[in-house]
Amino acid sequence: MDRVEGEGTLGMDDRATCGPGPLDSLGPLGPPGAQREPGILRLGRQEFPAGRLLVMAIINRTPDSFYRPGITWHETAAMERVHTVVAEGADIVDIGGVPAKPGTEVTVDEESDRTIPFVEAVREAYPDLVISVDTWRHEVGRAACAAGADLLNDTWSGWDPKLAEVAAECGVGLVCSHTGGQHPRTRVFRRAYADVMADVLDRTLTLAQRAVQAGVDPSRILIDPAHDFGKNTWHSLEISRRLADMTATGWPVLVSVSNKDFVGETLGAGVDDRLAGTLAVTSVAAWLGARVFRAHHVEQTRQALDMVAAVKGDFRPARVLKGLV
Amino acid sequence: MHGPARGPAVIIRAALCPCPPLLARELTGRDPIVSGLREACAEAAARLVAADPDILIVVGPAPETAGWDSASRLDLSAFAPALGATLEASGTPGLPLSLGLGVLLLDQAGYSGPRFLQAVGEQEPVGRCTELGDKLAASAARAALLVMGDGSARRSPTAPGHLDERAAPFDARVERAIRAGDLAALAAVDATLARDLMATGRPAWQVLAGAMGAERPMTEILYADDPFGVAYLVADFEAAPNGAGQAGAS
Repeated sequence: MDRVEGEGTLGMDDRATCGPGPLDSLGPLGPPGAQREPGILRLGRQEFPAGRLLVMAIINRTPDSFYRPGITWHETAAMERVHTVVAEGADIVDIGGVPAKPGTEVTVDEESDRTIPFVEAVREAYPDLVISVDTWRHEVGRAACAAGADLLNDTWSGWDPKLAEVAAECGVGLVCSHTGGQHPRTRVFRRAYADVMADVLDRTLTLAQRAVQAGVDPSRILIDPAHDFGKNTWHSLEISRRLADMTATGWPVLVSVSNKDFVGETLGAGVDDRLAGTLAVTSVAAWLGARVFRAHHVEQTRQALDMVAAVKGDFRPARVLKGLV
Repeated sequence: MHGPARGPAVIIRAALCPCPPLLARELTGRDPIVSGLREACAEAAARLVAADPDILIVVGPAPETAGWDSASRLDLSAFAPALGATLEASGTPGLPLSLGLGVLLLDQAGYSGPRFLQAVGEQEPVGRCTELGDKLAASAARAALLVMGDGSARRSPTAPGHLDERAAPFDARVERAIRAGDLAALAAVDATLARDLMATGRPAWQVLAGAMGAERPMTEILYADDPFGVAYLVADFEAAPNGAGQAGAS
């Protein structure tokens, strides 16, 4: 699709070049502006300007995720889904092998079996598509990078500190999220915050700075408040309302709100009836400056984001005739 | 008006182009929509420039008859505020749409010679229009004229003015007159009917008729269509060589 700010372009980065980052050249850790080229987000070989809103399509290689469980459990169905979401305008696919909710243990080997060959297959089918892998484990992360992943989506907020080192070592991106300290695959239980947004900022910025120190390219780091993770619905509404506090840091913000419980609880809507609520929060987040949107409904999310971008003046309407003939 | 150049003053070449806002490429979004229309207008403007006139006069309908500063441009932000930032701050008031699009065509054709911008009032009676044309023709020894004006906007149920059965025959008569170089027929277009049919080009056509005089020019229609229920016509008029009379009549 033609966009005002232009398509993602081939960057100078070469995925094949792995190795430790230039730690000593970073200098003292100042505000993000001092670490990052303002606005530019690099993922894989692509470079995205600030006005460009990106859809990250969810591809779960699990039999038991919360939304439409098992729909892309089999590889053929999953690859079919990749074809579909790419056609619908996804910029990134996020491949995960372990559901967020508690359940049967998924070992490192099992998680790797679920995701790594699939990452390889997607990379082969789409040389330039940005591939993200949703994992908190560095062993899986390293294998995913070798298979062609561009981004490690660390939903569990640095639970495994080696994940950032792997991102640095492989020259890929990293999502720095907030869970309020939750152990992976546990549910929030009576969590309270003096100021949830302050906690989110503290954690995500600390992780981002640690990632930079570990050698991750600052232009490849995102921060994510992680709605519903270690948060009740009031907390998730609060971080949605105050998302500008995050975008003001200069780090690109990813939001993952698709069909989540805070939408369902707010609207009294079952898991299959949360699209309107999802798109509403998506639009608010886009208006407040979020740049990456993890989504199940790719086509609708793409449309909502294009509409918000057009209102902001960052996206040219497709075809304007009314009153101009 | 430029200097009182007298003698064998003549309009050496003229062009007629429509003036919907969508002629400005920026306004239609990602889809160019009417690239064929824009190409035809560009061709007509290029022919004017190639004729190497002493001055290029743009004529177009506007609320009032008035000359406009030749340094002025169209303010696209009036139609699309989001485009405001892309405009140069010229410091001059934005032109009426018709003149602004004419200037845009000249700029796009790379014309940098002298220009004069003449708005003709929407309500001007035919006599005032032809008289204005005559005066414009006399303003330079070798002038070229870019006339901006549209046919009826009531050609279909989805047209801006909905469907009026009189629209198609009205536009057909105008097209026939232009094809034949019969400018007297343009001068005879009924102002009331034109207004009823939202044919905003009427006064500008009649300025053209006054400017090119009685000599039938050779004409070529470069575009004639109504993709959105408004009659768009692009035509090229070449003055008959040295009073050769009916040279353009086919």
